[in-house]
Amino acid sequence: MNNYMQSIALIEMSISCSIICIWLMQKLIPGEIPFGVRVLLLLMLGNIFFWPLGMSMELPLAGYVRGITGDLSIVSLLLLWSSLIPKGKATPIGFKFTIGLIAIGFYPMALGLGMIDPYAWGYGSIGLLIVVLIFAVICGLIGWTKGVWILALAVISWSGHWHESRNLWDYVIDPFLAFWALFGSFYYLYRQHREKAQSGYLFRAG
Amino acid sequence: MTRVIALCFLMLSAVLGYLHIDSQPAWAPFKLTDAVKTASIEALSPEITRTIPLYKNGSSVKSSATQAQLNWLPDTGAASVHAASLIVLKDGGIRAFWFSGSREGAKDVVINSAVFDPQTAKWSAPTVVMDRVSAETGLSRYIAKLGNPVPTRMADGRLQLFFVTVSIGGWAGSSISTIISDDEGLTWGQPKRLITSPLINLSTLVKSPALPFSDGLLGLPAYHEWIGRFGEFLRIDVDQVIDKRRMSYGRDAIQPVVFVDDAQQASAFFRQTRGSAQVKQIPVSQTSNAGKSWQVAGDIPIPNPNSAIAALTLNNGLRLMVLNNIETGRYRLVMMMSEGQMNDWQVVQVLEDDEALPNEQRREFSYPYLITADGSDVHLVYTWDRKKIRHVYFGSDWVEHVHSQLKTPEKIISKETQP
Repeated sequence: MNNYMQSIALIEMSISCSIICIWLMQKLIPGEIPFGVRVLLLLMLGNIFFWPLGMSMELPLAGYVRGITGDLSIVSLLLLWSSLIPKGKATPIGFKFTIGLIAIGFYPMALGLGMIDPYAWGYGSIGLLIVVLIFAVICGLIGWTKGVWILALAVISWSGHWHESRNLWDYVIDPFLAFWALFGSFYYLYRQHREKAQSGYLFRAG
Repeated sequence: MTRVIALCFLMLSAVLGYLHIDSQPAWAPFKLTDAVKTASIEALSPEITRTIPLYKNGSSVKSSATQAQLNWLPDTGAASVHAASLIVLKDGGIRAFWFSGSREGAKDVVINSAVFDPQTAKWSAPTVVMDRVSAETGLSRYIAKLGNPVPTRMADGRLQLFFVTVSIGGWAGSSISTIISDDEGLTWGQPKRLITSPLINLSTLVKSPALPFSDGLLGLPAYHEWIGRFGEFLRIDVDQVIDKRRMSYGRDAIQPVVFVDDAQQASAFFRQTRGSAQVKQIPVSQTSNAGKSWQVAGDIPIPNPNSAIAALTLNNGLRLMVLNNIETGRYRLVMMMSEGQMNDWQVVQVLEDDEALPNEQRREFSYPYLITADGSDVHLVYTWDRKKIRHVYFGSDWVEHVHSQLKTPEKIISKETQP
């Protein structure tokens, strides 16, 4: 069971690393990489990350990355992996705002600010489960069906003990998702502010 | 249509999530050992109260009637050794674990083990239980170094070892992993990682022995040591953390050791990690619901120089601690004793003391660990100048003798005050 779980985690990490590499390639190449090429790249890079390369390395490349990052949450994994699919609907800014706000409150408390530890709620709090489900329903109501699927899969993975953690938080949030959400939120606000300023300049009374 | 299917899928996840929460075991009381049962009964007897210190001006007991057995854990040839711990084996032997390497935190650090035979009073040759490469291969992730090993006995009788692993940074980047042995520590299974922190699982360490719950689960006192420095109480089902509770908060208390009073009540004593201007005493937290919640309860007035404490309760209810009872340095190590839950701690044995030496010549005596083999004797191990691990055995005669010395002043005073 342990070996099976470790292999699954390494496969996940290999896919994630490969997709980040493809994303970086896409940024460097002017045209869009065709979907078929992306899949081929994913297969090739995924194998490079997953299998031990020998030389002086004791682990596959994915094992070294995993040592630093730990296992990503299911929400992070699925958001990252879905970026491979062309013409996907963009993640709503409301989702990023909410994740960012939760992270701002959650991490300082979970790391020792006061006696209340919200991380402990993730082990068996019906309240936290309900909040996650309501969040998923709201995603559905605003038309972001992908969010419903992602959160439902996160809850099912937690129920089935897919990763090493038994804590629901570890399936729905991680520091990388929090950073992405906060960066996305601030960038959105900055862009709004700049557009507003520019439109003010153009239409200012002479 | 896809939205409806997605919402149906969400409902399925809700049902599975609810079933998962429903299957979680309820929080059970502490399992009472003979020692805790005795301590609970004694706590009800008012005549146990004593406040007269037996030793004054730092002098220690002269236990001429009985002698402690001094020994060393076997030499591994490594330049640095640290963090020894002990467990009683089924055949009555004592298995020790410690880490050794070129220096603390080096890549060549391994976790060693050896067995003490009480009949011959000798330690076996050391073996390697875990090295860095075995840990990272088993855990399928990069491991930079190994740290504190802490053994425990599982409810099904198997031996379990918790140990610290670090992937990035210093000790602040630690996580806890565990291995299980079916043959009393001769061979070990694959390591598994305990997930205890939401920030890349960073910064949870272990130093103190686990406590059994009445349902067979374990309560493992652990601590966080990065942005905050505080105690955490992990509830462990075999090799998974199924719950955890905060024992303190802020930046001033790590390495909790727990004295269980009864099935619900317990006190945790911490190593203090306060700033230079703050009080250097032992912080305490208490629980009245078997560790489900903890309240910070102030300090006990025993000096602590930011160094680990060892704790033990014997079957007769006596409580022992081994610690550096000074505010700075680790050059003095003493054993303290208290009657049951009274917290009337008195020094009963000075184990090491380099106070008379100049500062630069003083050695470090630290990281004590206490167990009892039969409920009335005491095995102690501690780091001796980072070069060796000292093993001291106090037989039940020694304990009885020291205990009787503890009682003497009160008896004398009682007689004197009688009309």
